[in-house]
Amino acid sequence: MSQSRSFRSGIIVLLLASLAGLALSLYAYFTPLTGVDGTLGALVVILSTIALVVMTLVLAPLSCRSGRVALRVLILLALVGTGFAGLLLHQWWLTAAMVVGLIGLLLDMASPAASTTPAHS
Amino acid sequence: MPTFLSPLPLSTLKLTAQRLGSATALALLLAPVPLFAQDQPTESGQTSAQSASQPSSDAATPSTASSDTTPADDTDPQNAGSQDAGSQDAGSQDVSTADASAQQNPNRPPIPLVPEKPTWDSFHGQLNAQKYSPLDQITADNVGDLEKVWEFHTGDIADGSGDTPATVWSATPVFANDTIYIGTPFYRLIALDPGTGEEKWSFDTQSSRKALTQPVLKNRGVSYWEAENPVAGEPCQKIVYMGTMDAQLFALDADTGKLCKGFADNGVLNVNQWNDTHSVWPLSVLQPPTVVGNHLMLGWAGMDWAYEQAPPGTIFSLNAQTGELEWTFQALSDEMREKSGTANVWTHMSADRENGLLYLPVSSPSPNYWGGNRTEKAPLATSTTALDIETGKVVWSRQWVHHDIWDYDINSAPTLMDITVDGKQIPALVQATKQGFLFVVNRLTGEDVWPIEERPVPQGDGSVEGEVYAPTQPFPTKPAPLLDQSEKPKIWSLADAVGGGQCSRLWNDLTYEGMYTPPTTKGEGALAYPDSSGGVQWGGVAFDPESQTAIVNTSHIVQTMKLYNREDYEEADSGSGNESGFAPQKGAPYGIRLKVAVNWLGMPCWEPPFGELVALDMHTGDVKWRRPIGASQQYGFFMPERWGSPTIGGPAVTAGGVVFIGASMDAKLRAFSLKTGEELWEDQAQAPAVANPSVYEYKGREYVAFVAGGNTILKDQVGDQVVVYALPEK
Repeated sequence: MSQSRSFRSGIIVLLLASLAGLALSLYAYFTPLTGVDGTLGALVVILSTIALVVMTLVLAPLSCRSGRVALRVLILLALVGTGFAGLLLHQWWLTAAMVVGLIGLLLDMASPAASTTPAHS
Repeated sequence: MPTFLSPLPLSTLKLTAQRLGSATALALLLAPVPLFAQDQPTESGQTSAQSASQPSSDAATPSTASSDTTPADDTDPQNAGSQDAGSQDAGSQDVSTADASAQQNPNRPPIPLVPEKPTWDSFHGQLNAQKYSPLDQITADNVGDLEKVWEFHTGDIADGSGDTPATVWSATPVFANDTIYIGTPFYRLIALDPGTGEEKWSFDTQSSRKALTQPVLKNRGVSYWEAENPVAGEPCQKIVYMGTMDAQLFALDADTGKLCKGFADNGVLNVNQWNDTHSVWPLSVLQPPTVVGNHLMLGWAGMDWAYEQAPPGTIFSLNAQTGELEWTFQALSDEMREKSGTANVWTHMSADRENGLLYLPVSSPSPNYWGGNRTEKAPLATSTTALDIETGKVVWSRQWVHHDIWDYDINSAPTLMDITVDGKQIPALVQATKQGFLFVVNRLTGEDVWPIEERPVPQGDGSVEGEVYAPTQPFPTKPAPLLDQSEKPKIWSLADAVGGGQCSRLWNDLTYEGMYTPPTTKGEGALAYPDSSGGVQWGGVAFDPESQTAIVNTSHIVQTMKLYNREDYEEADSGSGNESGFAPQKGAPYGIRLKVAVNWLGMPCWEPPFGELVALDMHTGDVKWRRPIGASQQYGFFMPERWGSPTIGGPAVTAGGVVFIGASMDAKLRAFSLKTGEELWEDQAQAPAVANPSVYEYKGREYVAFVAGGNTILKDQVGDQVVVYALPEK
């Protein structure tokens, strides 16, 4: 029970962080005077955070071990890349959201249940 | 979610950002920094042959100012075209007398040239171009509390993606008549309430929105005049002026925005009526006239990269109320006017009314990068030239580039200042240049304050037909150059690594024999550090008369210049940009390609910083402090601030010990401590603020105003924002 909760909390943190990142990216792109409004960089992080949300949603129910590992690697890359892009875009809260997402991913990875128990079990 | 985020301190994140950003070569991958955009031919012209012989270079060797100063007699041939020039004997003798009397006058106020009241009614704030405000409500201690009190969007904006060319907006907000006046790149003139930004009136010139002489639609604002003895009930006792791309000068009543019927043709002067030599394009009036008493001093802009022969630069002195032509001034001789052109004044001028002198920053003759058509002397080209305000006669002139084949137009009004050097008070001026030199001379005589030496310069590789190079060029010994052009700039290893050695290969294929290496047809051409992108641009030098500190922003940009013979040029030409790309120089045997030295990702091949803000002690000419300014930005990604940013636009300085400036690629507005250079405040603007800010007082409150309009030389970001800040009301 506690393992399952730990697993879920990791995914939930990751999902919330990804959604927050998406919201922040949209704000940065569409709001005047963010310094990056309308820029390609802000558009890229919108896309990367959308990808994060999708990958997290796919990860949650995924039972295939190799699939989970591959997806986690992709998520890790997306988190790091988006976080770094947030730094260069001076979107500090976006970077913070990615750090939180990373914590979520680590929680998910640290949970033994995550690697052995299907999410919906 | 907020609970997760709030424990992360913003400052820590910022620090991390800076460290990470600089440490990682990744910055490059994410930010392919074609630091400098593309798009444009520019204003003004080019060269002048000059023999100038002088021993070279020892900083201790005083240069012979007199040999380099062009007194009135020497300039006769250059003024043959002047309508009212008459004899040119106003020369050095009279001027020296004036100099002596000025220096010995015991009644001189302790801080001359300080305005009696806060004034910001022209492009550089004041006629002396100091960009200084005696206001001290905003100080270094409280500037961090600044808040935005209003902003105004003109709506006159284009990014160039449609039929309308992109807009470039360098208009200083002019404060006069308890009103803020601005001109726009669509050539509308708008009057705003200084306290609220509410529109009082606007006037649309209905001018053509075609880029007739520039690659973009440009505007440098408006100018203001008021009658010394206004006639009650009569209109146009206060007038605002603005010019257009198609060479019309408009005069409007400053109170109502109605055309002044008594000015020229019902309020509109057709400047192009005087475009009678090589009129291949109209005399664009992008810079508003310089108002000196009841005179309007008017220059113009054109395309000096396009043709060998072009309209020759003329200064028109006009009656401020009627638009009547009073006198004209030509920088080129009749003979050279036939073969060449430009040597115009496309930026603002400064003036010393007390001594009756107008100071012209004169550009280079055409074409920009080849001078075989103009091998004779043209001592007034690429110069600072002092004219008698009333007659237009040359009082003195200093040529800063002999036989200019680098497009080193003098691009900013010289800043007038009274400085104390070795205990002696000197009426001086500082002329900043694209090369990053600051020439300091006595503004009454043109003589050196610190030695300016004629030094031998490279004589080319023999590949350019018809060219005759100047054997020497003037080098100031103090202040030191703002960037070190003495040797080839070092390659930025990061850019070289990312480019797989591309920068090293480029460096090996570029000719460089030191400053003033001429353009060549060989290899990738010649390296210039810097060339037309500067150095210092039209923002010029600000000056605090209290501490006698000069403030100037400078860019560090490496460009390459390659000449192509006509046949090769036609094959190679792939279009032009703003201070980059191909320019035909039609009529000349060579076209030119000007490029910024970058790798395939657009990363600069030379080491940062790419731009700095510098403070100079004008008692000694020494640097007080210097620091990178702004952040370079591409695709939205900011580079670390310690790399700095190229800058266009200039600073304003106040008695509160604060320096205000926009100018950087990251479109931020900043305040720095005049004393230490510490950054004290910043805010985000819509686009790079390439205009000088203005500082004014209205109803007892001090305001600082910026125009954020962008310039494609920096990057393709445009704006239509006027934004004004003040301290919170108590």
